[in-house]
Amino acid sequence: MGNISIKLFGKNLRNPVFNASGTLGYGIEIEPLWGVETLGAYVTKGLSIKPHHGNPTPRVWEERHGMINSIGLQNVGVDRFFDAYFPFFKRKKTPIIVNFFGFTEDEYIACAEKIKPDRFIVALEMNLSCPNIKAGGISFGKEPDMVFDIVKKVKAVTEIPLFAKLTPEVKNIVDIARAACEAGADGLTLINTMPAAGFDVKKKNIPLKGGLSGPVLKPIALRAVHECSKAVPVPIIGVGGIMDAMDAISFFMAGARAIQIGTATFVDPYAIPKIIKGVADYLDANGHKKIDDIAGIANNV
Amino acid sequence: MDDIEGKILSNRSIAPGHCLLRIRLSRPMGVVRPGQFVMMKVPDGGVFLRRPFSIYDYQKGVLTIMYKVVGKGTEQLSKAPEDTPILTLGPLGRWFTVSRRNIPIVVAGGIGFAGVYALVKKLQGKASIFFGCSTSDEVALLKDAVPFHPFVATLDGSYGFKGNVIQLLKIHLNGLKGKNVEIFTCGPDNMVKSLRGLIEPHRIPCQVLLEERMACGMGLCFGCVKKTMDAQEPYKRVCKEGPVFDLWEISL
Ligand SMILES: Cc1cc2nc3c(=O)[nH]c(=O)nc-3n(C[C@H](O)[C@H](O)[C@H](O)COP(=O)(O)OP(=O)(O)OC[C@H]3O[C@@H](n4cnc5c(N)ncnc54)[C@H](O)[C@@H]3O)c2cc1C
Ligand SMILES: Cc1cc2nc3c(=O)[nH]c(=O)nc-3n(C[C@H](O)[C@H](O)[C@H](O)COP(=O)(O)O)c2cc1C
Ligand code: FES
Repeated sequence: MGNISIKLFGKNLRNPVFNASGTLGYGIEIEPLWGVETLGAYVTKGLSIKPHHGNPTPRVWEERHGMINSIGLQNVGVDRFFDAYFPFFKRKKTPIIVNFFGFTEDEYIACAEKIKPDRFIVALEMNLSCPNIKAGGISFGKEPDMVFDIVKKVKAVTEIPLFAKLTPEVKNIVDIARAACEAGADGLTLINTMPAAGFDVKKKNIPLKGGLSGPVLKPIALRAVHECSKAVPVPIIGVGGIMDAMDAISFFMAGARAIQIGTATFVDPYAIPKIIKGVADYLDANGHKKIDDIAGIANNV
Repeated sequence: MDDIEGKILSNRSIAPGHCLLRIRLSRPMGVVRPGQFVMMKVPDGGVFLRRPFSIYDYQKGVLTIMYKVVGKGTEQLSKAPEDTPILTLGPLGRWFTVSRRNIPIVVAGGIGFAGVYALVKKLQGKASIFFGCSTSDEVALLKDAVPFHPFVATLDGSYGFKGNVIQLLKIHLNGLKGKNVEIFTCGPDNMVKSLRGLIEPHRIPCQVLLEERMACGMGLCFGCVKKTMDAQEPYKRVCKEGPVFDLWEISL
């Protein structure tokens, strides 16, 4: 297998393939099949300053080419994560990206402040799709002004590189991307799930509203990655509907520096190791020495 | 635990709307315990996620699943012919634990029998079996599976006791007063609720196999939770902390 390591904020990562936040438990659950050391970096489940219970069931709904989830960000809280789970990643010499969120500005800031720099932390990833309870439930990531504001405040309390993870449910994602970068975001993660509804015809009801993920999301994510990578100078992590190595390659060519795999793991628990190998094989077979050789090479026709 | 390729050996109807599926696995699955389950990739036909099924039986590389056709995945599965390739991830989840001291009672409702059959088999006739279903058609699920005498209740009275299985159990529990009994159960929510009502005053130990919609089956997505009495972390994953739970630790 060829060398597919990348450098991100001065850290060497084995490969540019990560899990998407919230889709690989706390990392330990995959151990019976393969280990987190397979990943370029492990992305944590979304963490909040206090533990959060999440939503009642049903929490998942199947669509033909994807799924809808309404987990509601259940997590053990940032303190417990660092006490109980972080040592496992250190032992496994696996760097992490800490995904976090809040329902108020203060919660975002408190959470970011809590996380101290460590050689095994590559970056923070702030989830901007959360409902802002003070602004009546509109998500933090929907308006450029709000994005600028919250990113700037979080950036002021942390020395760790900061990724802003954007929601696709906006008028113009490039405007949001620019606002995040002007406020100091060191990178962007594109994209989070798309708001959607499940429908049960037999029961004539909507059993859940939540975020749509999986293959249906891929073209939307690719467009966001491509357009934003032309508009901002920071590294972009592409995520949304990547199911196999060719999907992954398309994200690199569209301008992503790294990618994340979410829903694919539920369909095939070995999707991540297969994609890592597939990306390396593609580079070898096409005479490329490193991922950067194909980064952003997509042409518009 | 592993994700294993297999091929359908047979897939036949055993009662209206109920099938028995046998799969020859290409590799051994590892130690399987009663109550554990697999996530099965339903072949073709636009079923995106896998579906969870209890391991009804597993012997010499042959996995048996008993399932009820309820929606598009099981419908699709019921049409899959012999030799169809199929992927199964397992064995998954926590299992029933049996203590030697207690007299075991197994209570199953309808297709819930698929979840407790491996336990029934392991107990080798030591347990009393209570089975409840709607009509005599479903009694076929027990055929061959339970060689000794099960207590059967049908709602329409077409076989055995007329009424629900918990009413039938109640009659027998009276006869076991003062003995240490333990109950193992799997069935519809309403059955589990009335079982709980019946045994609450006596706080009889009871392990219950729960079901919830699943996406991953291995604790990755937190999609399959049930609410428990744990004040700190009420939502437990059915696939990881379950599917077998202590009845007195969950809130129904
Ligand atoms: C641990 C576990 C073990 C199981 N063992 C068996 C078994 O041995 N035999 C068997 O027939 N069934 C079993 N089930 C239930 C089985 O998983 C569902 O019937 C199946 O997933 C339905 O798929 P579908 O595509 O046909 O239904 P869908 O089209 O997805 O839904 C149709 C109906 O099935 C219900 N349903 C969907 N998923 C589940 C689920 N996970 N649990 C319960 N109901 C569901 C829906 O609410 C809906 O009413 C088990 C479930 C779990 C969680
Ligand atoms: C079950 C589930 C849980 C998720 N939890 C989070 C989360 O906690 N934080 C977050 O930023 N994104 C979360 N996401 C979104 C994913 O990280 C990812 O952006 C999205 O699923 C699209 O990628 P995919 O199509 O590869 O799954 C979650 C997605 C799923 C399916
Ligand atoms: S189904 Fe994913 S955590 Fe249980």
